[in-house]
Amino acid sequence: MTGRVIVITSGKGGVGKTTTSANIGTALAKSGYKVVLIDTDLGLRNLDLLLGLENRIVYTIVDVIEERCKLKQALVKDKKNPNLQLLAAAQTRDKTAVNAEQLKEICDILKEENDFVLVDCPAGIEQGFQNAVAGASEAIVVTTPEMSAIRDADRIIGLLATKEEITSVKLLLNRVRPNLIKSNEMMSVDDVVGILEIPLIGIIPEDTGIITSTNKGEPIVNDEEAMAGKAYRNVAERILGEEVPFLNLDEPRGIIAKLKSAISKLKVKV
Amino acid sequence: MLMEKSLVENGFIIDLTGAQNTSQLIYELSSIMEHPQVKGKNICLKLGKLELKQSQLLSIKALIESMDASIAFIDTTAEQTEASAMSLGIQLSTVSQEMSSSMEGINSKEISELAASQIKTEEVIIKTEDGIYDNHGEAKTIEIQADTGIQSGTIATTEGIDDIYDEITTQELTEVIPSEDYNTTDFGSVAAIEGLLPTEETSKYILLDTGNVLPEGIEENSANTEALPTLYINQTLRSGQTVSYEGNILIIGDAHPGSEIIAGGDITVWGILGGIAHAGNNGNITSKVRALKLNAIQLRIAGLYARRNDTLNVPYVQKSNEFTPEEALIENGKIVIYKKLRRD
Ligand SMILES: Nc1ncnc2c1ncn2[C@@H]1O[C@H](COP(=O)(O)OP(=O)(O)OP(=O)(O)O)[C@@H](O)[C@H]1O
Ligand SMILES: [Mg+2]
Repeated sequence: MTGRVIVITSGKGGVGKTTTSANIGTALAKSGYKVVLIDTDLGLRNLDLLLGLENRIVYTIVDVIEERCKLKQALVKDKKNPNLQLLAAAQTRDKTAVNAEQLKEICDILKEENDFVLVDCPAGIEQGFQNAVAGASEAIVVTTPEMSAIRDADRIIGLLATKEEITSVKLLLNRVRPNLIKSNEMMSVDDVVGILEIPLIGIIPEDTGIITSTNKGEPIVNDEEAMAGKAYRNVAERILGEEVPFLNLDEPRGIIAKLKSAISKLKVKV
Repeated sequence: MLMEKSLVENGFIIDLTGAQNTSQLIYELSSIMEHPQVKGKNICLKLGKLELKQSQLLSIKALIESMDASIAFIDTTAEQTEASAMSLGIQLSTVSQEMSSSMEGINSKEISELAASQIKTEEVIIKTEDGIYDNHGEAKTIEIQADTGIQSGTIATTEGIDDIYDEITTQELTEVIPSEDYNTTDFGSVAAIEGLLPTEETSKYILLDTGNVLPEGIEENSANTEALPTLYINQTLRSGQTVSYEGNILIIGDAHPGSEIIAGGDITVWGILGGIAHAGNNGNITSKVRALKLNAIQLRIAGLYARRNDTLNVPYVQKSNEFTPEEALIENGKIVIYKKLRRD
């Protein structure tokens, strides 16, 4: 088996790379695929927290590289789904503890035994970025509908284009707020895609549930109700090659709005 | 408001008016915690003009209670300390002439003399760009790694989170080598178990199935950790910072989640322990981890690793007004936690 190695990157910090990695990884594992998530944000690791796995980490990627343990020993199984494993970043080291060749080697080994290897990239375009993309053949660029994030995403897309190994670059637009788009206060999805000119793989709405899910160490894809969870499940399906229409984020969600729509449906029936 | 008291039964006066700030005060208190005269006493605590917040006073109370003593009253001239004491239900009074002449006691000066008599050499350890040295310029084996925060032996005030020790403006690392007669025995030996031993589901820590993680060439041993030198660290450890030392480590401050403490012997945190603590990393299975609040994400003793139970609901912000000193040690091949430190 040769699995797919996908790097999740953005340029700008804090736009949702780690949230995206945790959620897509969990969704793919739930569909029965073997997935390894690699946290390459050395010194500022977060992925373990989002998955609620911090207390299980004994070895990190640096221990693997410095040969203090075998790669297998460093893989932490998810609490719920043994198909999902995490290779954690070291918290007490900095980016220089790892180089691109070493990361590529790890990806190459992991893809032999897994369907997906998802690499959570640190912010920036320096060593950490170079390391994270080294073993990947696909990339998901995460951005929010903000000028600064889009500018950085554009820069990243340009850099990715110079990497021969990377054959697919897709866009994930995060923290979208339909209300703001409607009132012309936020760039629309079309605007962003128009600027960046790469295919869209997902639109994730702004969802306060993400904050609680982060604090609980439970990715939001596990929440059947949440809009963002649904959107991430759709991204996973698109990665698997299925054609899934983009969610209608305008869907009324408040109680009154729901009532109104229920009433309007009734009227139609009558 | 003030109560008149001529004498306190079974009383003992601790006069800390010589302490300049909270960290010094806690340092002095912790250096007399082994003082046999303090045990079981009603402490009359002279705090002078030092302003203490409620949380600070609470940690002082916890320290005194961990010495198996209690606070009879507090003698203070500081408004904030007075308010803190009242909200904690601690009595206020003054140490009268009569009391000081008829009761036993100790003051800051005597504490430092006492400490000096127990300590053979006191060294200041300085971290510079290219290594760690003692004040004689010799390279040391201790190591604090961090990307940020530590420069040439001083750390700027840590703001916000560590309310309790926020008066620490500079830190110094002091290594204390005990002399032969230095006696720390009582603190180490714990006899009291409160309640029954926990089961798997309710236990606070669960062993990881890593097996024995001791590196090759290192053997299990039961060396006396009290004979080891102790490294005092007067600062809060933040995420990403590591302290490692071949002897015991005493931290006066918190150890935030994401930090790591690795000691050849025991680890004691006078504050909230939230990171990883590895005691007896050279195979010493008698090593212990203690903290005023034990929330370590992982506890490691010798080759045994345990994770905090997922069901344990540790509040996202760990700040708390409650301190229940706990101690972790190996028993029957497991890491068990004892509530409340108590002497024999
Ligand atoms: N769709 C969303 N709705 C609401 N909050 C979100 C959403 N996506 C991400 N966030 C929040 O944004 C913050 C940053 O997310 P995350 O850590 O995933 O970003 P990152 O790109 O990995 O950051 P870094 O560059 O620091 O690694 C988090 O607090 C997260 O909870
Ligand atoms: Mg991140």
